Amino acid sequence: MESIVKDKYIIATDVGGTCTDTVIIASGEPILVGKSLSTPPNFANGIINSIKDAAKNGSLDINSLFKSCRFFVHGSTVVDNTLLTRDGAKTGLVTTEGFEDTLLITRGAYGRWGGLTEDGIKHPVSTNRADPLVPGDRIKGIIERVDYKGHILRELDLDQAESSIRDLIENHKVNALAVCLLWSFFNPLHEQKVKEIVRSISPETYVSLSSEIAPVPGEYERTSTTVINAYAGRIIENYLQSLSSKLRDHGYDGEILVMQGYGGLLPAIEASNKAVGMLECGPAAGVIGSRYLGSLMGDENIIAADMGGTTFKVGVIQNGELRHAREPMVDRFHYVAPKLDVVSIGAGGGSIISIDPRTNVPVIGPQSAGAFPGPVCYGQGGEEPTLTDVMMLIGYMDPDRFLGGSVPLNIKLAKHIFKAKIADPLGLDVDEAAVGIYRIAAAQITDLIHEITVEQGLDPRDYVLHAFGGSCPLLCSMFGAELQVKKIVVPYTASVNCAFGLVSADVIHEYTHTETFSVPCDINKVNSIFEPMIKKAQNQLKADGFIDKTISMEWSIDLRYARQVHEVTTLIKGVTPLNKDSMNLLIKHFEELYERRYGKGSAYRDAGIEMTMFRLTAKGLVERPSVERLPINSKDYSEAIIDNRKIFVYLRNGLKESPVLDFDKILPGNAFSGPVLIHTPITTIVIQEGQTGHMDDLKNIIIEFD
Amino acid sequence: MDPITFSIIRHRLFRIVDEAVITLKHVSGSAITNEGHDLMVSLYRADGSLLMGGVGFLHHLTSAAEACKSIIRNFSGNINEGDIFLLNCPYTAALHTSDIYLIAPIHHNGVLVAWSACFVHVYDIGAMNPGGFSPDSNDIFTEGFSSPGLKLVDKGEIRKDIMNTILNMVRSPEMVALDMSSMIACNNVAKDRMQSLIDKYTPKVVDKACSLLISQSEKLFKERLAELPDGCWHSRQYFDVKGQTFKVLLKMSKEGEKIVFDFSGSSAQSQYGINCSRWASWGGLFAPLFPLLCYDITWNEGVIRPVKMIAPEGSVVNATRPAPVSIATVGAIQAVNNAACVCISKMLSASDKYSKEATAVWHGSHFAIFMFGKNQRGTQSIGILTETFGGAAGARAIGDGVDVGGEVPNPISRMANVETMEATFPIRYLFRRRLKDSGGPGLHRGGTGAEFAITPHDAPDGGINYVISGKGTEYPMSDGLGGGYPGAPSNYLWVKTNEALESGVPLVAYPNSIEQIPGKKEKISWGVFPLVGLDSLYVGWNGGGGYGDPLSRDCDSVARDVKNGVVSNVIAEKVYGVVVDNGKVIHKETNFLRKKLKRERLEMGKINDI
Repeated sequence: MESIVKDKYIIATDVGGTCTDTVIIASGEPILVGKSLSTPPNFANGIINSIKDAAKNGSLDINSLFKSCRFFVHGSTVVDNTLLTRDGAKTGLVTTEGFEDTLLITRGAYGRWGGLTEDGIKHPVSTNRADPLVPGDRIKGIIERVDYKGHILRELDLDQAESSIRDLIENHKVNALAVCLLWSFFNPLHEQKVKEIVRSISPETYVSLSSEIAPVPGEYERTSTTVINAYAGRIIENYLQSLSSKLRDHGYDGEILVMQGYGGLLPAIEASNKAVGMLECGPAAGVIGSRYLGSLMGDENIIAADMGGTTFKVGVIQNGELRHAREPMVDRFHYVAPKLDVVSIGAGGGSIISIDPRTNVPVIGPQSAGAFPGPVCYGQGGEEPTLTDVMMLIGYMDPDRFLGGSVPLNIKLAKHIFKAKIADPLGLDVDEAAVGIYRIAAAQITDLIHEITVEQGLDPRDYVLHAFGGSCPLLCSMFGAELQVKKIVVPYTASVNCAFGLVSADVIHEYTHTETFSVPCDINKVNSIFEPMIKKAQNQLKADGFIDKTISMEWSIDLRYARQVHEVTTLIKGVTPLNKDSMNLLIKHFEELYERRYGKGSAYRDAGIEMTMFRLTAKGLVERPSVERLPINSKDYSEAIIDNRKIFVYLRNGLKESPVLDFDKILPGNAFSGPVLIHTPITTIVIQEGQTGHMDDLKNIIIEFD
Repeated sequence: MDPITFSIIRHRLFRIVDEAVITLKHVSGSAITNEGHDLMVSLYRADGSLLMGGVGFLHHLTSAAEACKSIIRNFSGNINEGDIFLLNCPYTAALHTSDIYLIAPIHHNGVLVAWSACFVHVYDIGAMNPGGFSPDSNDIFTEGFSSPGLKLVDKGEIRKDIMNTILNMVRSPEMVALDMSSMIACNNVAKDRMQSLIDKYTPKVVDKACSLLISQSEKLFKERLAELPDGCWHSRQYFDVKGQTFKVLLKMSKEGEKIVFDFSGSSAQSQYGINCSRWASWGGLFAPLFPLLCYDITWNEGVIRPVKMIAPEGSVVNATRPAPVSIATVGAIQAVNNAACVCISKMLSASDKYSKEATAVWHGSHFAIFMFGKNQRGTQSIGILTETFGGAAGARAIGDGVDVGGEVPNPISRMANVETMEATFPIRYLFRRRLKDSGGPGLHRGGTGAEFAITPHDAPDGGINYVISGKGTEYPMSDGLGGGYPGAPSNYLWVKTNEALESGVPLVAYPNSIEQIPGKKEKISWGVFPLVGLDSLYVGWNGGGGYGDPLSRDCDSVARDVKNGVVSNVIAEKVYGVVVDNGKVIHKETNFLRKKLKRERLEMGKINDI
């Protein structure tokens, strides 16, 4: 029986659509990973199973594990799922009279084409706007008006507001209410009064105010965000409550920290109030994990790529800094919330390969064979060839060792169907066609990464590529070479990357204030905007259990050139509160950032510069255990060779006999030259000819170019 | 050519155009470019033929091709690496003067291999009226700066003399300079990316892929045409300007793999700038053709080859210089767009396979309203009311039109938030909402347009002025299809509250509808007007056309529309024959009414027989 050391472990669990992943870390101990199937709608069961799996890998007892747990960190797709399945609350909307249609008309066609691919956009006749989360008869205009300076032009009519709210609650039976009034981010008074009215009529009704959820200009996006929040609010509240009681049953009575789309953690009680913050938090955690891994390895510029069964997702970390998304969407709804920029295409292992019958050109996706029936080679009845089948046909997968030998692959069937459906119509033999499809997949991924690097003024040659997920390590040596990245890292935690990101995140509260100032302006005035935000943040973080030493504050300001529409969030790198020097430095940084993002010559300085939004990022730094590094062995990897097989080598544009290694038999320090294959329990790592690989002291596989 | 390499190159060409569009938006930073997506970027082959059209205002794809060809003809022997040419003369290739084309040759190892071209609607072009649309102009000479082709950038160096001359002729030269920079940056990006594509795959392979891309589009489009029934379809568009009515007639004939658009019989050219040059009409018919017939085909020269146009010289669809054309893009071009949409949709309706692709007309009439004057920060500025990009979708064979759902010729437009407009211009919105009864009735209802009213707020000069060039107030332009009614026409009102208050009418501080705003309501549609004091400008914009017989529309759908406030009880009864009370269909009365309306139709037929 091991002794219980209090505050020893950090447990992180990420709930995805299919799997629930766990990572457990503690000082001086190896990282433990666990995996189990998600169990909707009672996700807590899958969470416990996944933790048990990880605990088992370290021969730990789950109850003593919980007793010595310092933080339980959590990420979940539950809000995304609520939206995708339209499973949220019956929601009403209160807005300014005269503007009741704002949510419904989505700034015109924006809501019709938003979220469509090229094919959809080119075919407008086939497209529709998504049905709104709140239908027209549950939208009430109330009498009030605030102007662009935040001045109240027309007082709120309390009686009329009350009867509108009563109508929604009593006649329409709504149990959640979104409130978004014009210019409320400048003056939230009327929204707050509306909340009081709701409280007095029906305390149990869930209320979201736009001035609290998304205090930013732009009434359509603000309304949409507030509606999403109200729609999913109660569900996330209940979800976190049930998780917390389940954990208590297992002896954990500490804090649950919940991942947000911007890559920071919030205590559960606050996360419950801001459902919209949890959107896309899984991919955000993945990027955070990548950044942490980079910091352990001394890399600051990283392309973090994750490819699973259905999608390829990628984010960019530049000088250790993360990029935020400009116009995020969930399903087909726009929202505005700080969110890390992670872009995706519908290309994954399960993507179905087809031939366009009119042009005879092969097409990858966007349909996916999913987990069932899955690729043809799984032998579960799948009849459409997928990218996974292609990987097998070019020798990258071992029919007998897939997922540790648990799923035997039917190569004969895959070959037969691929020949009939793809190779024959193309007039190519099976090897040629399979190699061709593999090249197209790599080229499309190259184009996507090109889009978020080269097209944004970043040179991939300065970047390290991290390859996560079940499918990425099969392709990364090809597109990594095309992009000419510095090196490729296939992390040891590649299969549980999001959970790994959770243990490496900090608690982050974000505060904003909107007001427009022309530069130059009174520096004291700017400082006085930050003062109340700082006070609020300090109280909050202290309540979260942080002390001065573990609290850090970042100031940033959104700036733009007057008469232009693009705003750039610029971090204040000089001293705060601002003085003349740090203000000048801020302006200099803004100008540099603007040109970098929008291109040379895009800055129009003569019009002057304006400040439009003031942001405070308050961090509670989570102390992390130091990561255990393993001793380095000799380069000799011969012990790890388990097979020799013909695989596709792109430099030869053909197949070549190559050694196959077992990941579990490789020791840190072992080094090998491509072409070589490494089978891991969850994927295969391909190293091409002209590349060398080795295992580092964290059990990552590093691929470098000769 | 191997299908793998072809597929990779095709995808890369698409990305090149997309990236160039993003560059354009980033550098320009203007509302019309960023909100309205009033822009276009395309790639052209060495001979100027369209290689890959991007998603922007689609009527520009073909005319920019002509602009390339014109530059090739006129600058033969003087086209060098790093050059960028400017062309905005509507009688040479452009649509109107304010949509400036910047065209750049792309060389590889000194050999001309391709062209890129782009446009934005520049902030100002120095016409009589600010903003580019010039309703007061009666000839091309007063429509601002106009060039049939000049070299703006010479071997990578901007020709300062030329640039300064242009900027010397426009209002807010600094903003126009920014528009120019955005187009230069956009062409540079396209060039860089094309060159690295060719570096990677060799000139020969890329050339082969490009010619295959064009021949493939041609083959696919011809196959589609062959699948569609042969025949002849007609449509006509009426539009009014200052009490005069103009018409665009179209006879579209399709035989085998050929299609001819014949505009014979259209009105003689106008004294107002609503005219189209030949290239504007040519582009105007392709704007709906690309997305309606070629939604799954790459938009390039291959699609253009099977198409012919007949447009009589001296008419509103092929004006003779020096007729004014500054309003073409929201004038006769739209009539051409709409007429082509109707004829194409009629042809689609006649095919079992493609009938589901048919659509009534979307957003048949733009309302270009440019405000100008001193804003709340004391700066002289010009700005468009971006609501015109909100649009209204036509009803389709597959269902109702999308309310305020955009337009076909500009697939990814959008309008600005009220808060954005109020922050940048000294105006306040009284309301902005869907416009009741604007969607054309039909089995499937046309999408509604919308209505809004604005009044000055915090204007240092007490108000501002605006230029309006809004045809389509007397006759609807969003035609219905298959028995569907047209969408309601647009309506622009100058509400004279100042006058009313002087004569003792009580003030209504916060009117919530046009009826509640005190003051005489003067219908306006053309020229420059003030917006001062407590006066307001009301705009109700046209809805999309309906599809199919409104008497066949599902009664519950009509009741739902009434309940949602987009159809009135009057129209529900008179046009749909549906009696709705308290959101519920009254079936007995509805059956009676629908029978009665059908009987009346038969009666009308009899009268015609006599």
